[in-house]
Amino acid sequence: MKKITFIFMLLSVITTIMKAQEKSSFGFYTDRDVYVSGETLLAKVYTPEINNSTMVYMDLVGPFGKRILGASLEIRNNQADGYLQLPDSLSSGTYQLRAYEKNTVGKVKIIREIWISNRFDGLEKTNQIKRAAVAEIKPDKKTTEISIAEIQPEYPVRSSINASIRIGESLMKEIDGNLLVSISQTEPNFTSATFQVQSDQINEGKNQDKGMVLSGLVTDKKTLLPADSITVYLTIPDSIPGFQYYVTRKDGRFYFLIENYYGSVQAVVQCFGNTEVQRLKIKMDELFDGTGTLSNFTKQPVSEEFKTNIKRNIDAVTLQKIFAQEKLRFSAAPLKKRAPYPYYGKPNQIIDPQLFIDLPNFNEISKELLPGVKFRNYNNEPSLQVLNAPNRIFFSEKPLILMDGIPIRDLNVIKGMGTADIDRVDICQSERFYGDLRFAGVVAIYTTKADYSNLPESDQLIRLKLETIQTPATLTEPQITEANIPDLRQLIYWNPSTEPQAMLSVKCKTSTVLGQYRLVVRGRLKDGTLFFKDKPFEVK
Amino acid sequence: MTTRIIQKMLLFLTFSFAQTVSAQESQDVKWDGEKIKGVRFLPYAAYQGFPYLNNSWQIGKIDFASGESVDGLNLRYSTFKDEIIYYNTTISAQIVIDKASLAGFSLQDGPGKTRIFRKQFFDGYMKGERYFEVLSSGEPNLLVYRKVSLQTTSAYKDQRGVLTNLEYANDYQFYFYSPEKGYTSVKPNWLSLMARFNKTDQKPIKKLLRKNKIRISNEESFVRAWKVIEKEGFKIIP
Repeated sequence: MKKITFIFMLLSVITTIMKAQEKSSFGFYTDRDVYVSGETLLAKVYTPEINNSTMVYMDLVGPFGKRILGASLEIRNNQADGYLQLPDSLSSGTYQLRAYEKNTVGKVKIIREIWISNRFDGLEKTNQIKRAAVAEIKPDKKTTEISIAEIQPEYPVRSSINASIRIGESLMKEIDGNLLVSISQTEPNFTSATFQVQSDQINEGKNQDKGMVLSGLVTDKKTLLPADSITVYLTIPDSIPGFQYYVTRKDGRFYFLIENYYGSVQAVVQCFGNTEVQRLKIKMDELFDGTGTLSNFTKQPVSEEFKTNIKRNIDAVTLQKIFAQEKLRFSAAPLKKRAPYPYYGKPNQIIDPQLFIDLPNFNEISKELLPGVKFRNYNNEPSLQVLNAPNRIFFSEKPLILMDGIPIRDLNVIKGMGTADIDRVDICQSERFYGDLRFAGVVAIYTTKADYSNLPESDQLIRLKLETIQTPATLTEPQITEANIPDLRQLIYWNPSTEPQAMLSVKCKTSTVLGQYRLVVRGRLKDGTLFFKDKPFEVK
Repeated sequence: MTTRIIQKMLLFLTFSFAQTVSAQESQDVKWDGEKIKGVRFLPYAAYQGFPYLNNSWQIGKIDFASGESVDGLNLRYSTFKDEIIYYNTTISAQIVIDKASLAGFSLQDGPGKTRIFRKQFFDGYMKGERYFEVLSSGEPNLLVYRKVSLQTTSAYKDQRGVLTNLEYANDYQFYFYSPEKGYTSVKPNWLSLMARFNKTDQKPIKKLLRKNKIRISNEESFVRAWKVIEKEGFKIIP
């Protein structure tokens, strides 16, 4: 009896582990397999259900292992979609497109091999192409429970497609999340291979279950050891600046949670020594994982047909650029709940120096215009004090001084600023707290230029251009009114968030680019199985 | 012997399963704590009466306007200034949390009893954002603005021996509130409650309260009476 119980329990544990692994399957798809530099690549990722990350990273690695660009995609309902604008300068070759989450159960990266041709350099001299010599992941299951009807074997250019997709009742019950429906040109001579690699990152940082995490290390420049108990500030300057701080522990590391920011964001990370003489150095962690060791590859001959098709694609993309046929329509980023007032509190006084007489420096401004602010520059050593209004006495300590929302300590930065340089000054004449930080009053200077050029970059102050959550975008059909302007799309339909329904209709128009096309429906079942159904056709 | 091996193997399997499924780095970073903003609390003058809701610090939760919340804080509600004060143990400071940053807060008032306060705009006399305690949540809500004001009284010597004639006195204000109809003032007594209903409803309400043996004599019985009435579907008149 005991043996039976043991076997039963062993089996159930193994089954659960297998199920967990199955559910951990990644699905990573692109709109096409072959691209031309300067084009936009669209992708959809099904992320493992057992990971609780809210972010998936997608990046492009070149033929020699260099990471070229990437995007941070927000996971919703265990799936994400996004795009990459392929640079014009990419040389022709096989590239690896990677999708991965950080610090997750599986610790895997899914890699999709794609071909990118340089727009200005054809394949005339190319005889071989590199392909990764790695075992591909198990192909998706081709389902028979989806039928694609009303797709003709051939379509003329610029003709309407009215396809209907019927999903079987039993499959409908099993589908998890949204479907990906796409119609794009296919390249018979190059089919993307997809494979998985185990993450070789030693330190993957924090789990990103709440959002993007920015991390780094502070070291003491003298001892070169990680610096303990150092307050690191992150400021995201904006009309209402964002601010966070982190006090390092023994390992010298710091982490910031970047929530509710979309697109490219300017940020400043800085720290100050605990003593006047302490000098520190900040080193930011890369947002994207390193490329690691490249897989082995094999060389394959290039067929003449492939070269011809690539030439046709290059022409199409070049003309698309000439006619400025934009592919994507960007949606407005989801509105973030903004703080109703700056992080340093509601100012007691808001002064606009430009409304007053022209004053040449901050000393004069503070004397003439700023109530309760004492700026002095004796012996070329500037000092600044703010009135503690409730106690009717000046604070003995230096207040929090901000320039465009960014904390500064060196008063030499502001001493030369005259009325022409300052847009407004916010003053808080009370003891302010932000978490565990205490500020003896606040003087926030907003400059007219607002370009942070007055802030000298150093080992202790790093200016960053953060690629936060990618702004959602949808594929659009170009509005071509003149018949002599060609429609040069190779991707004619892309909907990565199709709600599963028993009957789906797909309406679009073929472009003027001839060739083989394919309608594909992809999805994932509740047990983690990835499935697809496709139907090819030709545009003649 | 076999049983022990089986037990050990089971233990090992369970452990490895747990490792496989949740091999994630522990999230030891407290992201929300540092978002609390405010100014230093300055003690009030020591008059007769009590300017706070409670005598001591209570464990509570604050809800930010952004939707985030921080739990496990030492909180004290100043009924005199209508401000929530928290004690920051790290820097040993009493901090008045910026009202603009909050959506509300809740306090643990005894085992299993949570008092919920919500920040709402009051459009009556003395317009502005106020913390209302939610006594009953429904349609409408029964809210109380636990106001303590300074009132004149007969002269007395305070703790420092200074002669004064001011004291902190409770000036609680009860309201029925619904987003559509706004605030309807009510007093926690039988007459005021009855006045909020149609004449035709008053008789069955009286009967209902009698049946439930509720006699409105204080805030607690008033709230109980309202909950019983609300459950029966009676509607107040604006």
